[in-house]
Amino acid sequence: MIQADLTVILPEIVLAVYAMVALLGAVYTTKDGVAPLLVWTTSGLMAVLAIWIATSGNGTNVAFNGMFVDDGFARFAKVAILLSAAAVLVMSQDYMNRRGLLRFEYPLLVALAAVGMMMMVSAGDLMALYMGLELQSLALYVVAALRRDSVKSTEAGLKYFVLGALSSGLLLYGASLVYGFSGTTLFSGIIQTAKHGELSVGMLFGLIFLISGLAFKVSAVPFHMWTPDVYEGSPTPITAFFATAPKVAAMALFARLMHDAFGAAVKDWQQVIVLLSVLSMFLGAIAAIGQRDIKRLMAFSSIAHMGYALIGLAAGTELGVKSMLMYLAIYVTMNVGTFAFILMMERDGQPVTDIEALRQYGRREPGKALAVLILMFSLAGVPPMLGFFAKYGVWQAGVQADLTGLVIASAVASVIGAFYYLRIVFYMYFGEEPEEALDTHSSPILWAALMGSAALMLVGVVYQFGIEGAAAAAAATLVN
Amino acid sequence: MSLFLIAALPFLGAVFPALLIRAGRNASSASAGATTFLALLGLLVNAPAVFRGEVVTARFDWLPGLGLNANFYLDGLGFLFAGLILGIGLLIILYARFYLSREDPMGQFYTYLLLFQGAMVGIVLSDNILLLLIFWELTSLSSFLLIGYWKHLPAGRQGARMALAVTGSGGLAMIAGMLILGNVVSSYDLTVILQNKELIQASPYYMPALILILLGAFTKSAQFPFHFWLPHAMAAPTPVSAYLHSATMVKAGLFLMARMWPVLAGTDAWFYIVATTGLITMVLGAVIALFKDDLKALLAFSTVSHLGLITMLLGFGTKIAAVVAVFHIINHATFKAALFMSAGIIDHETHTRDIKRLGGLRHLMPVTFVIATVAALSMAGIPPLNGFLSKEMMLEEAVHTTWLNSPYLVPGVVLIAALFSATYSFRFIAHVFLGPKRDDYPAKPHDPGVGMWLAPAILVTLVILIGLFSKAIVGPLVAVASGAVIGGGELPYYSLKIWHGFTPALYMSIVATVGAIVLLSVHGRFEQIWNAIPRPEAKVIFDAIIGGMTALSRKITEGLHNRSMARYSAIFVVFVVSLAGYAYYTGTDSVPTRIGIEPGIMPIIGWICLMGATICLVVFHHNRFVSLVLVGVVGLIISIGFNYLSAPDLALTQISVEVVTIILLLLALNFMPKETPWETTNERRFRDVIIAGISGLGVGGLIYALMMRDFAFPSISEFHLANSYKGGGGTNVVNVILVDFRGFDTFGEIIVLGIAALVIYALTEAVLGTRVRAHLLNRKPDMPQSGDAHPLMMVVVTRVMMPIALMVAAYIFFRGHNLPGGGFIAGLIAAIAFIMQYMASGFSWAAERQKVFYHGIIGSGVLIAAITGMGAWLNGKPFLTSAFGYIHWPPLEEFEWATAMGFDLGVFLAVVGAVMLALESLSRFAWQPGIASEHAMDINPARDDDEIDEKKEV
Repeated sequence: MIQADLTVILPEIVLAVYAMVALLGAVYTTKDGVAPLLVWTTSGLMAVLAIWIATSGNGTNVAFNGMFVDDGFARFAKVAILLSAAAVLVMSQDYMNRRGLLRFEYPLLVALAAVGMMMMVSAGDLMALYMGLELQSLALYVVAALRRDSVKSTEAGLKYFVLGALSSGLLLYGASLVYGFSGTTLFSGIIQTAKHGELSVGMLFGLIFLISGLAFKVSAVPFHMWTPDVYEGSPTPITAFFATAPKVAAMALFARLMHDAFGAAVKDWQQVIVLLSVLSMFLGAIAAIGQRDIKRLMAFSSIAHMGYALIGLAAGTELGVKSMLMYLAIYVTMNVGTFAFILMMERDGQPVTDIEALRQYGRREPGKALAVLILMFSLAGVPPMLGFFAKYGVWQAGVQADLTGLVIASAVASVIGAFYYLRIVFYMYFGEEPEEALDTHSSPILWAALMGSAALMLVGVVYQFGIEGAAAAAAATLVN
Repeated sequence: MSLFLIAALPFLGAVFPALLIRAGRNASSASAGATTFLALLGLLVNAPAVFRGEVVTARFDWLPGLGLNANFYLDGLGFLFAGLILGIGLLIILYARFYLSREDPMGQFYTYLLLFQGAMVGIVLSDNILLLLIFWELTSLSSFLLIGYWKHLPAGRQGARMALAVTGSGGLAMIAGMLILGNVVSSYDLTVILQNKELIQASPYYMPALILILLGAFTKSAQFPFHFWLPHAMAAPTPVSAYLHSATMVKAGLFLMARMWPVLAGTDAWFYIVATTGLITMVLGAVIALFKDDLKALLAFSTVSHLGLITMLLGFGTKIAAVVAVFHIINHATFKAALFMSAGIIDHETHTRDIKRLGGLRHLMPVTFVIATVAALSMAGIPPLNGFLSKEMMLEEAVHTTWLNSPYLVPGVVLIAALFSATYSFRFIAHVFLGPKRDDYPAKPHDPGVGMWLAPAILVTLVILIGLFSKAIVGPLVAVASGAVIGGGELPYYSLKIWHGFTPALYMSIVATVGAIVLLSVHGRFEQIWNAIPRPEAKVIFDAIIGGMTALSRKITEGLHNRSMARYSAIFVVFVVSLAGYAYYTGTDSVPTRIGIEPGIMPIIGWICLMGATICLVVFHHNRFVSLVLVGVVGLIISIGFNYLSAPDLALTQISVEVVTIILLLLALNFMPKETPWETTNERRFRDVIIAGISGLGVGGLIYALMMRDFAFPSISEFHLANSYKGGGGTNVVNVILVDFRGFDTFGEIIVLGIAALVIYALTEAVLGTRVRAHLLNRKPDMPQSGDAHPLMMVVVTRVMMPIALMVAAYIFFRGHNLPGGGFIAGLIAAIAFIMQYMASGFSWAAERQKVFYHGIIGSGVLIAAITGMGAWLNGKPFLTSAFGYIHWPPLEEFEWATAMGFDLGVFLAVVGAVMLALESLSRFAWQPGIASEHAMDINPARDDDEIDEKKEV
């Protein structure tokens, strides 16, 4: 029995044990001296685990009496999480190293956060959900404040922590209400309660609090307050990490909770998600216009993107989940490329995040500028880049679920949002000559990430590497 | 040739010019030309089939999951547009070869041009609306590159940006419209959509879809109020203007309206939106064009005006108007491309496009003069040129149109437009070519080589030929194309000829032409008036909108994200409270199932104390010491509350935790300023009071509601009460829960407690290793400290109390299993006893007498708990299963012996160790040389009192 359970959860165990052993090992050896090695082994391990998960599992396996669910949906999300975390980690090494930020805890905290995220997407129970969420969050709180000597970074980390604690409290309160009124913490049990007609007010309160707590994690408006500050304050590689894997995990968890536990009461949560989605899309689009700092801009961009992904969730259908997963996969790929570029931006060895520094960049580095152009168009959702198909997918799901108003609002938001992505392109190609040129420090890894992700935005239109099929299968396992 | 190949050829061919530029400019342009020619040839191969009325298709499922198919089809309309795009494209390539100078990167130019051409061909051949959208946005992108081609001109940059912003945004709006349309019909294939007119027009989504799609079309075709981007895009090289703004990009919007005509047209909404927009655009463009001195700006506004004309015709919604629209599309493309190229030639030869600096060129540039004049006369609508034919037919349609019951409005406005249109056409001829020769041209003008004028000459020939022999040359084309627009059915009667007899249209034409000559003669004075009138400049408005948006966005961002934690939490809380309110009002409330307890006098007093302390805490929170005292009061009342509600255990735990934490906080206060900073304003405090009050009441109400109802299952207390003795061997349920039911929890907790203490220790070590230490050592207290660090009374009392306190701890520990008490409380009591020694007698004194390190105590506590837990394995039970039995030990009475006690001992040790280690670490911050006395109250008979006095004086 226990052996069967452990087999299901083996990838998580491997990663967790690795992180703990490596932590102890590093403490008793050269500490930060082994950090580069740890970066490589951690991301290597995560990549191997991703491949393992992608190729091995089939069907739905349940462990620990339903608390842990390993199904197609979880596997899809885990592969996305692990691959993006591995990519971001590898990308960060050079940057962190040159700025003296490469501590040995960093890769291990990322690994532990990844374990938490894997737990989250596999959660089949409110307690497992909370365990995963907190493991992830605690690791993230620490990495957000990794640059201890910077006031901005520590302030951001502290804000993130305090607001995060508030949202965790809400989530717990919601969970206990749900437990109180349904008598179980298992998703499969909760959905049985919900099936008997309407949800009681107690359950409704629980649901609302759960949604609020999770909305914080996906940084949906108005629970997004921490996002710009943390994105700006953290070292860029950590911002990149924040913008990728945790978003996938939180959205996937959101979808799992809504469908597995409250799938019978779609009407009760649909309105709230629609509201969050609209607010996120518009605030993300409007607030980004005024930003001069590219990291803050990406923060609002990610808020807006979560708004679009939430459309897929709001649809409450299988197609919706599928389109949401596709959206996340594409979003993560775009962001990896974009952040690879942001990591390159520097002047005299100092990182630069001012958008205006990009002026006339297109003339100095035509190749990279073209890649950024493709990524920006893709982020804006302009056809024929892959980003358009992501957006199009969720819109399609939205229209079919009779959320036409939401889709129209979202189209309007994307028009507004296109503006700031295009502004970056504008600066690169048509801006006036800047006083001080930007040099881009390019390591082969960053270069490969930037070019690879840009190429995928084009190639993906023709051939999607079977991701679509996988997403469809994943959605089918979740919504039934 | 397959439609796939026709659509793909320009894209494939786009590689060659860029590569072949190394082989020379001729090779580069030849490769571009050859590609275009091949595609045109492929199109013409399909011509017989199209003219037979067949629809050529090519299908391929691309992403069926998304409903995206790479389906192409070619009907009359597609054929017309594809022909225009490729045909004029070929001429532009020829023209550009000679127009671009040696410094311009020509390979790049042709690459962009071919990309653009491919996108345009894609639009007109697409059967799938998604595919159409993709090509649509591709034209925006590639035109962006083309318009911004001359990067050294700031105007080019601005223009490119504005063009992209306007058309790109329109395209995104269109996506949503198309999506709605596709959903209504449940197919994304145009051929299917076009057959579902009734379904679409009856759908409630008709209006949103119509508006969104028209937004896309209007922005692309530069219709009012989006017309402003087109003239600003004129900074591009002239071949680009000629191509994009005569035949292709701006026609894409018209194409779309024509394409969707069968399903969208015919309603009132369509008429009033489309026809009115077209009408306004037509007049506005014509009027502005007259007063532009830049040749290309004049042509640009005339293009806007003609696009308005065609839009208006499509907007009329009648079949015959659609035919006229198609005919005018052909005519406009021919004469406007020729005019742009002529303007380019003039610019190229004279180095200026300013009409005011030109004039008298007819002798210097005779060939250009002929070409430009013919084209301009056609634009003015002078017989026998092709512009006249379609203009006549347009006027005829306008005469028959009533707008909101007014039969004269449309004809009247159209007449004004025609008048201005003729005037600017004449001005183009008169002010550039006629008049006296000047001697201050920026360059010496002469006709260019044949390569440059060949392309416009071919177009002008077409202008004349279509005018004279319209039926023979374009008759079939107009027939199949308009057949496609009106979507099958009989074509209405029309005749493509010059002379229709004396019709109202003819009179209007005559009026317009004569009026134009009059107007032109007074143009100078008119222009002064025009320049004196203040009028909105679209670009300024656009910039203002963008600027306003940016400012608004900054304002919003700064309003929401001012980096203030208080604001963040306020928004957070407000939103959650409103969501909860929403949940409350939408949900169905259930009836309370429990009855509340009558409050007695004691609880009310307690409640008042609690509330009073809390409110005082909020009010006096700036004084840290007072707030600490108030926190203590709150804690005390809560423990009394526990006691009152028959939970002595909890009361005991609460009170000991209170004492420890207060001591801990007191230690911390030592290092902090006495008061917290005043940062809030009155308004903000008022806001926060309201928010906090409402959310507090909300939470209170929620808790009340919950406590008045039964949960989905009976309370677990019953189970605990029933099993506490049977299973755990204790009658104190709380203790049994701690050491047995939830033993694993407790085990985890003591480990966490231990880790926390170790972390505090480690942090202290780390911090004291830095400069902070020096800072602490030099710290000056802000008020004089008490002269006697170790008051006699306190020292005596604590020393006397210590054995008693430890005894109490032991007592509490042993009775714990059955009566209130237990390892946790005992640990806290013992810890308090030790702490008092530190406080009263000083750190050094206490540390000297400390025999065991606290690390060890924590470790041994955890180990003992673990070993006790593992003991259960010997019994064949899971970890931490407790066992108990009774032992009769002869001298004593029979007593119970439970393994839980071993576990509790672990808890006790861990608690003592953790608390002591934490406090010891913290107190090290306070250590300063001189404050500690080595011999506080030590009774040492050998000591001499004088010694002490001397020390004090030092």
